[in-house]
Amino acid sequence: MSVLDCKALTKRYGRVTALDEISFSAEPGRIIGLLGPNGSGKTTLIKLANGLLTPDSGVLSICGAAPGPATRALVSYLPERTAIPTWMSAAQLMDFYGDFYQDFRRQTAEEMLAHLGISPKQRIKQMSKGTREKVQLIMVMSRAAKLYLLDEPIGGVDPATRDYILSTIIGNYSPDAAVILSTHLIADVEQVLDDVIFINQGRLVLQSTVDNIREEQHKSVDALFREVFKC
Amino acid sequence: MLRKLMKHEFRATGRVMLPMYLVLLVTAVGSNLADRSILDSRYEVLNVLGMLVITAFGFSICGVLLISFVLMIQRFYKNLLQDEGYLMFTLPVNVHQHIWAKLIVSSVWFTVTVLAVILSGLVVVYDMGFLRELFDFLGYFFQGLQKLKISEALNGTVYLAEFAVLIFLSLNAFSLQFYAALATGHSFANHKMLLSVVFFFGFQFAIQFLGSTLFITLDHLDLIPYFRWDLTPQAAIHLGLLLAIGGVILYGMIFYAITTFFLKKRLNLE
Repeated sequence: MSVLDCKALTKRYGRVTALDEISFSAEPGRIIGLLGPNGSGKTTLIKLANGLLTPDSGVLSICGAAPGPATRALVSYLPERTAIPTWMSAAQLMDFYGDFYQDFRRQTAEEMLAHLGISPKQRIKQMSKGTREKVQLIMVMSRAAKLYLLDEPIGGVDPATRDYILSTIIGNYSPDAAVILSTHLIADVEQVLDDVIFINQGRLVLQSTVDNIREEQHKSVDALFREVFKC
Repeated sequence: MLRKLMKHEFRATGRVMLPMYLVLLVTAVGSNLADRSILDSRYEVLNVLGMLVITAFGFSICGVLLISFVLMIQRFYKNLLQDEGYLMFTLPVNVHQHIWAKLIVSSVWFTVTVLAVILSGLVVVYDMGFLRELFDFLGYFFQGLQKLKISEALNGTVYLAEFAVLIFLSLNAFSLQFYAALATGHSFANHKMLLSVVFFFGFQFAIQFLGSTLFITLDHLDLIPYFRWDLTPQAAIHLGLLLAIGGVILYGMIFYAITTFFLKKRLNLE
């Protein structure tokens, strides 16, 4: 069964169509790049999968169920902004995740925090912006979820942090889970992707495996992206 | 899950409210001591210090009342409608549980705040003479109760209980009016806070308009002759209080439904 299945998914904001009859599915064990320029509908798609938005038409299911409290227990979501409460300490944040998510692996989180030299007693508000983002990523990747939805995880961070984030994703996702990673920084993520989905102005432009793009079109994903989205 | 939400809500709010209660208690004790000795001192510096402590107590009372109210709004706004909303609305809980957690925790703080203010007032006026007067009063009170008929004592107790329930429910309904205004205003793409304020006053106007229209209509219908209930004055007061409670519950239910609808169907986090 597909982890995420979208059929003719449409979302409008007033007169603007953010997603226009998008259909695709995400299979377990795959890392999928949701690629498109700014404003193409990537975040809207991820918000719909999380139940943060309601579609105007079409069907979206996670492990066969419509988005709701039950599917949220299966999805680990990294929003594009820092959403963790800044008054909490890292330890309180782990308590919070542990309380609400049965699949939260506290020991994994503690090891990753220790690796970065972050004390569990340190408050989030005392951390730099980059460290906050890393802590949020650690919480998200410490869950043994069925679907990881990572919205722009490498946007606005330095190259060293980018490497750390990608290695954390690769090293911690469950093998039977699907990872959907939205970004417009293709070159940085290309090496970790199994599949790509190109979307532009709310429409699905291409869905393919990375191997197919390389073998059949003899191009890197980055080169194909530049060609497809040429201004 | 509601229990877990409440646990973390108490953690988030307790770190603000508990120090406020401590400040209230300390300034209350300080005011008591100032009233007993410092204010009558022949040293002017001590007189000024005593006045400052008593003023600080006054500010503490205002502060704790204001903060418990502001915190009720701020937690809903910041925790559900700002960046933290991305975390909260992706937890495996439903919208009803979010609203109830906020509502229950706010109610608890409102109640504790009222009790803390009463307690601090008792601390300020406390001395052996006061304690004696208090016990004397309680003695007279219970002696008076013995002279009352059972029905009168029962009526008085039930009035008090009904009035307490009315106040408690009114506070919750008022909180829900704020929640509904914030949820509605934040469903728009721009000017979210401005629209929330507009909706709050809009709701207030709508409720007052509907209430007035209802009363005028009932008055015009002249229904009183149809009610041949021959109520005693005591029963009429009970009926009035129960009707008020029913009205407040309806008022709260309307805003609960609006809040739920906008958080479920029109959530629009930035």
